[in-house]
Amino acid sequence: MTARPSFIGAHTPRVEDDRLLTGGARFGADVSLPGMLEAAFYRSPLPHALIGGVDPSRTAELKGVAGVFTAEDMSDVSPFPDFDEHARPVEIFPLARGRVRYAGAPIAAVVAADRYEAEDAVDLLSVDLDPLPPVVSVEQALAPDAPRLYPDWPDNAVIEWPVSNPDAIAEFDRLEDGAFTVGGRYEIRRHTGAPIETRGVAAEFREGRLTVWTTTQFPHIARTMLSYCLPLDESDIRVVVPDVGGGFGVKAEFYVEEVTIPWLAMKLGRPVRWIEDRREHLIATCHARDLVLDLEAAVGPDGRFRAVRGMAIQDLGAAEMYPYGFSPTFTAVGHITGPYRIPHQSVGVLAAATNKTPNGAYRGFGIPEAAFGIERLMDKAADRLGLDRNEIRRRNLIGQEDIPYTTSAGAVVDSGSHRETFEETVRVAAERREHWRDRLAGDPRIRVGSGVVNYIEGVTPTYFMTTGHWTSFDSCSIRVNPDGTAVVSVGVSTSGQGLESMLTTLTAEALGVRRDQVRIVMGDTDRTPYGLGSWGSRSTNVASGALREAADALLGKAVRIAAHLLEASPEDIEVYDGSFEVRGSPGAAVTWRQVATAANIRTMDLPEGVKPGMEASASYDPPGIEHTPDEYGRVNAAATYTNASHAAVVSVDVGTGQVRVLEYIVAHDCGTVINPQIVRGQVVGGIAQGIGGALLEQLHYDEFGNPLSTSFLDYHLPTAAEIPPMAVLHFESPAPEMPWGAKGAGEAGIIGPAPAIAAGVEDALSEYGIAEITLTPITAPYLLGLLPSG
Amino acid sequence: MRPVPRPADRITVSMSVNGGPVERTVDSRRLLADFLREDLGLTGTHLGCEHGVCGACTLLVDGRPVRSCIMLAVQADGCEVTTVEGITPREGLNPIQQAFKDHHGLQCGFCTPGFLMTLTGAEPSEYPDDESIRELLAGNLCRCTGYEGIVEAVRAAWGRDEREGRRP
Ligand code: FES
Ligand code: FES
Repeated sequence: MTARPSFIGAHTPRVEDDRLLTGGARFGADVSLPGMLEAAFYRSPLPHALIGGVDPSRTAELKGVAGVFTAEDMSDVSPFPDFDEHARPVEIFPLARGRVRYAGAPIAAVVAADRYEAEDAVDLLSVDLDPLPPVVSVEQALAPDAPRLYPDWPDNAVIEWPVSNPDAIAEFDRLEDGAFTVGGRYEIRRHTGAPIETRGVAAEFREGRLTVWTTTQFPHIARTMLSYCLPLDESDIRVVVPDVGGGFGVKAEFYVEEVTIPWLAMKLGRPVRWIEDRREHLIATCHARDLVLDLEAAVGPDGRFRAVRGMAIQDLGAAEMYPYGFSPTFTAVGHITGPYRIPHQSVGVLAAATNKTPNGAYRGFGIPEAAFGIERLMDKAADRLGLDRNEIRRRNLIGQEDIPYTTSAGAVVDSGSHRETFEETVRVAAERREHWRDRLAGDPRIRVGSGVVNYIEGVTPTYFMTTGHWTSFDSCSIRVNPDGTAVVSVGVSTSGQGLESMLTTLTAEALGVRRDQVRIVMGDTDRTPYGLGSWGSRSTNVASGALREAADALLGKAVRIAAHLLEASPEDIEVYDGSFEVRGSPGAAVTWRQVATAANIRTMDLPEGVKPGMEASASYDPPGIEHTPDEYGRVNAAATYTNASHAAVVSVDVGTGQVRVLEYIVAHDCGTVINPQIVRGQVVGGIAQGIGGALLEQLHYDEFGNPLSTSFLDYHLPTAAEIPPMAVLHFESPAPEMPWGAKGAGEAGIIGPAPAIAAGVEDALSEYGIAEITLTPITAPYLLGLLPSG
Repeated sequence: MRPVPRPADRITVSMSVNGGPVERTVDSRRLLADFLREDLGLTGTHLGCEHGVCGACTLLVDGRPVRSCIMLAVQADGCEVTTVEGITPREGLNPIQQAFKDHHGLQCGFCTPGFLMTLTGAEPSEYPDDESIRELLAGNLCRCTGYEGIVEAVRAAWGRDEREGRRP
């Protein structure tokens, strides 16, 4: 029926841009309501303490203070439900009850006429805290006499998931044929997504209905959680997501403030707003990573990896975070063998509670950690064998003949270009390294090197292993109005990636309307069907699956109507650019407007058997996803898998230890590319964040558990001066099971930089016999410490 | 000598904002950013850190870029203030805005007004190549784009060779 130019893969301008470029967008802090009050939090200055009491009496001298509230006032609020059956139970209360477990935990909420006065009042509170000894590392947490964060637990382990896979272990017992083992402890230190927009919540309670504006990546999940915590029916809660200034996973947590602010609005009968400041953000919004991968590989004499075993050990912080902060560690284990044919694995998980900000999600979600571990091991094994570092990868990479390939973690890789991206990246990286060596040859302190790494990323995953509750579906409903414009509402939600544009394009593609006839509605639980939001590089896949089904239903109906109006047969109807034409009869056409008018208004124009209306809904659950692992942790937790190869060309100043990324090369395959500019933007933006994590970003604590990185002066995000030019090479291996063959692209870029840069630095310093780089961020002092002294 | 105002003293300020006269009485401690956003409803200026690092709050005071999160409204008394709303034409986009759109110089757009104002206040001839453009942009943080599209947008807006500094 349809033979027409396609929008897929075409350059189309983003529909979001105009409002964002002109100051016309509405972000969380722009939500302002008549009679609105503002809240500020008193946050624990101590990492571990018992709460004695809060004395608000001095706030009486401020005339605008509407109230000071603590956990005791919130007796009608339930703690977050805990769904995980394997981890120790953690009760999360909106305001700390009895005890604080990290500096930054909210103890009291103050509401006043505006933020200035609310913050004044916070300064006037006297809070009685009885300090407890802090636990600031996993080693301390697991020591037999460690102070316990949760007194009714026997120790500080939040979850322990030892894995003992006999097939993997057997490979370590049978090394007689010249096989050997390599091992190491690979550490990705604590950092975080740090979107430029902090979090914010505003709430209004009117006529028995609660409306909550919040900077979340999952409005429907937020609404459901609110209904679990507040004494309200879910239908009486509306969650609205304004424009969101970046999420990167940290806004895919459900935060205590998202309960407290609505509760305050209900309690006070006035709208209440809270806008997080940056200091709060760096201590109260989730942290991420802080993972040690203690790994060992059994490697054949030919360099082929036979098995990997070990433990993933995470410093989880205070554990008061939902969805669970340990789930990225399970994802790391699920990706531990990367795109390599490593038949067996036996890698367990241990996450311990410490007196730091609770960990949660950050773009990449465990996969950057996994890539750092396995790629470092590959380099080490190659060096041990005296084999070229690229050659060892060549011998282990999945090839086309292996596909579909089930990894030792249970991931079913259904498509990809693993060797192709690798060879291309190796080729370009070698060229660029020589270019930079020539160019910088005059500087005696500068050494140039490069490193190439690979990964696969499970995209569109189940949420069950992260939440213990939600799984993987999403939904879409489309209404075509009488004028032919289509309103498409979806359960996913954007935080700035360009989802509105993607869905506009896909709707135009699926319905044959013009792009300017499409309106996307998302981020409003009253106006969209239930869905799980945007995380896990899932939105394009799940939304388009539902969209396609709903659109197909409408298009089938529309074609019948058009055929009737044109007195033609439905088989002869073509639709494009907002109009229906009869194939072979140029000039015989009706517009989507005429068809929709017939369906909605002039129903006597409808053919027999066609019902009025032009509306359809569909839900979509990606096929092939498993929600729970087997006893060895094996699970196909994602709908499909992207692949990529990354190379960093770096320079090292051997005098100062400073590393610069001179150029970055990425060969990337996320299946069918719907909008090349958006995909490129996602990849490049992810790489920039990865470079930040590899070289600059760390959330430091002192030995007493005090956070030291509480402003952008102490927590360094990369600027335009640190991010190099990038070469992005696109490969397209369509996902056989996904609508339009696309695979999510949101997280991929961040996975490669740490191991690529580490390898590049080692390459640059090869003449010095530098010790192995085993952690990030690779700071100058760390690097100087690895160089042989003198 | 005038007495030093205390934080909650009310002070009348008058300034020109985006070409129009404004006169208001504000707390002496009120930040210029809050004054514009909350009192005048000009929410195009964003706050990303409130301590002078991220550049999201950048706007022009008497033609020069300033960080409105560390400037008081009273300090702008008698000045000409220009925000992103003030550089936006009645219809469509101005050339720098259009270049950002054409080159994917924004994703979430939260940092974008700050970048646009930094660029509006810059003298292109002082930034002859990519390296100096990147130095200029290094005062504004963007967490989404990796800066690639922003650098390309600047090149386009300033009529630079599109491929300069770019490799295959
Ligand atoms: S908000 Fe002013 S510099 Fe960050
Ligand atoms: S576009 Fe999101 S911070 Fe720059």
